[in-house]
Amino acid sequence: MKATSEEVKTSVKKLFEDGSIGHFIGYEMGSDSLRVTPCFLKSGQAASRLVWNPLCANNLSKYLLDFGKVEGKVGIMVKGCDSRSVVELLKEHQIDRDKVFIVGVPCSGIVDREKLLAVLGVSPGEVVAVEDDGDAFLVTIKEGTRRVKKEQVLRGECLVCRYPTPVIYDMLIGEAVSSLPWVGDDYSSVKELEALSSEEKERYWSSELSRCIRCYACRNICPVCTCVECIFDKKAPRWLSKASDVSENLVYHLVRAFHVAGRCVDCGECERACPMHIPLRSLNKKVEKDILELFGYTAGIDVEQQPPLTTYQAGDLDEFL
Amino acid sequence: MVNQTKSRIIEKNRLTELLDELAQGYHLIAPVRDNDVSFRRVESGSEVTLDYINTVLSPKNAFFPQTETLFRFSRGDSQGFRTEPGTEADREQVIFGIRPCDARSLRLMDMVFNGQYKDSYYLKKREKTTLIGLACFNPDKTCFCPTFGIDPTSGEDVDILFSDIGDRYLVEASTEKGATLLDRFAKFLSELRGDEEQLRKARKAGLVGMKKLDVSAIADKIAPLYEGDYWNSIGMKCLGCGICTYLCPTCHCFDIADVNLDEGGERFRCWDSCMFPEFTLMASGENPRPNRKARVQQRFFHKLKYFHDRNAELACVGCGRCIRYCPVNIDIARIIEDVISGKAGNE
Repeated sequence: MKATSEEVKTSVKKLFEDGSIGHFIGYEMGSDSLRVTPCFLKSGQAASRLVWNPLCANNLSKYLLDFGKVEGKVGIMVKGCDSRSVVELLKEHQIDRDKVFIVGVPCSGIVDREKLLAVLGVSPGEVVAVEDDGDAFLVTIKEGTRRVKKEQVLRGECLVCRYPTPVIYDMLIGEAVSSLPWVGDDYSSVKELEALSSEEKERYWSSELSRCIRCYACRNICPVCTCVECIFDKKAPRWLSKASDVSENLVYHLVRAFHVAGRCVDCGECERACPMHIPLRSLNKKVEKDILELFGYTAGIDVEQQPPLTTYQAGDLDEFL
Repeated sequence: MVNQTKSRIIEKNRLTELLDELAQGYHLIAPVRDNDVSFRRVESGSEVTLDYINTVLSPKNAFFPQTETLFRFSRGDSQGFRTEPGTEADREQVIFGIRPCDARSLRLMDMVFNGQYKDSYYLKKREKTTLIGLACFNPDKTCFCPTFGIDPTSGEDVDILFSDIGDRYLVEASTEKGATLLDRFAKFLSELRGDEEQLRKARKAGLVGMKKLDVSAIADKIAPLYEGDYWNSIGMKCLGCGICTYLCPTCHCFDIADVNLDEGGERFRCWDSCMFPEFTLMASGENPRPNRKARVQQRFFHKLKYFHDRNAELACVGCGRCIRYCPVNIDIARIIEDVISGKAGNE
């Protein structure tokens, strides 16, 4: 059975009551029926605010960095992708395993709000609720309920998700999901971009990145962007001009893509956060594919597995030397 | 509303022609669909879309560009440095399709850039711009402009207002500048048929239920909440990105920097955001707003109190962009409600 909001509320309340956790990071409903917002609980009474539904896109794991010094354990709700970034945070000693209580929820895909509104042809105010129903979502709108095929309205990362069930947890709510039926070639969109000539690639990325407004939402929401002081915020020396133009934007995005190489778990938060609709996942997916092909490595699976770019093995590829 | 010229109409099928001609005579900025809808320079009417609630970026870029060269400098022969002006702003521009909320935001921006200090870069562009507004009959759920006394169908802050009333647009000039422009393009316009006001009224039905909060005492109500725990809960959630400030039509903070090359360089200014840690970072390393709570608090206090203290207006027009695009759903309308209801004080 799939996890429900009710189960989440009851379980979290119990965790507070038996002293397993002192804090909890979860989701509650936001401004409208198509938005959720992160919520931070300090007691079991507040657990009634929690929800779990196909709108819970936010990867909450980055908030764990803010809970390093609190008393007691911090409970956190994670989907498959989110759990993989928790693995990365543990691997990099950003968080302490003993201080975290991981509540896993198997996930069968998150709704892309804009795709859903476009498919239904309705305005946000008209949607009352969205429920998971196997290979489709049941969407309650004012006129009744409509069944929308998931493939039409899922977020991009969910269409290629191979880890719908959390890879690490202390408690799992709902039944594990082993695979998602719509997942085929993980890299089909990357291959399309790879097939372009250098000039075409330059044109494509220059055009996409010309829209960047350097709000840094992609970096700030990224669960593996954990530097205390980011190179792009440094004032002396200033490595990147504050002027927003294609060449500066390109430097920003390429450096970021390289910095999360072998650490990005494709939770898709960068692309979701981007107000300018820049296809940031394509950059990260390309690097992910290279790392897989070069080192046979996938990020966020096993805490004990060493990241390829921070370790040396005699048999490592050295064609570039 | 001052009606300097009598109202006219334009048939929908003539709009592209009008825009074509406008684009020839002026630097025309209009909504274009490219991933999402944004204001761009257009060269023909066919590039323009009118199918949008509002653009992602506000039109502030047309007056206060994200990055703007103020002047260039280079080594002279013996007299030290030579300077020359930066980006040219000497062109008549028309913004077509600006929404009444965004038009109001320019009035607020004027208070900053045309107040005690006259910002020539902004003012030159402002003076040379004619605003053609597009009445808003179908607002988003996150819109709440009536809170700030804005009628989304009014031409109060524009030079000309277009209202989509079905098969035609009602065209009304509200300033002399607007009337002059309409006279120039009179061949595209025709006389009223008589049912226009009725049609406009019918379309206004779409506005029923728009959020309107009572912000009359908000500056006083928020003042005592400075020390409260409420901002902790918002700050905890905030990512510290610049989406809200960069998309906001009234946010106007900027930074100035030089690009230095061997033989010269340029001084530019660019948008800055109070959400960024280095915004208040001092040379000593001290930061008076050291955490996300302090920065979030500043943003809301600036909008709802400090700007009001200085200009007797709130620095928000209820366009809803920050609510629509915040990745963690921090909602200014909800914060205003919490301040009004006292909930913010009890947390």
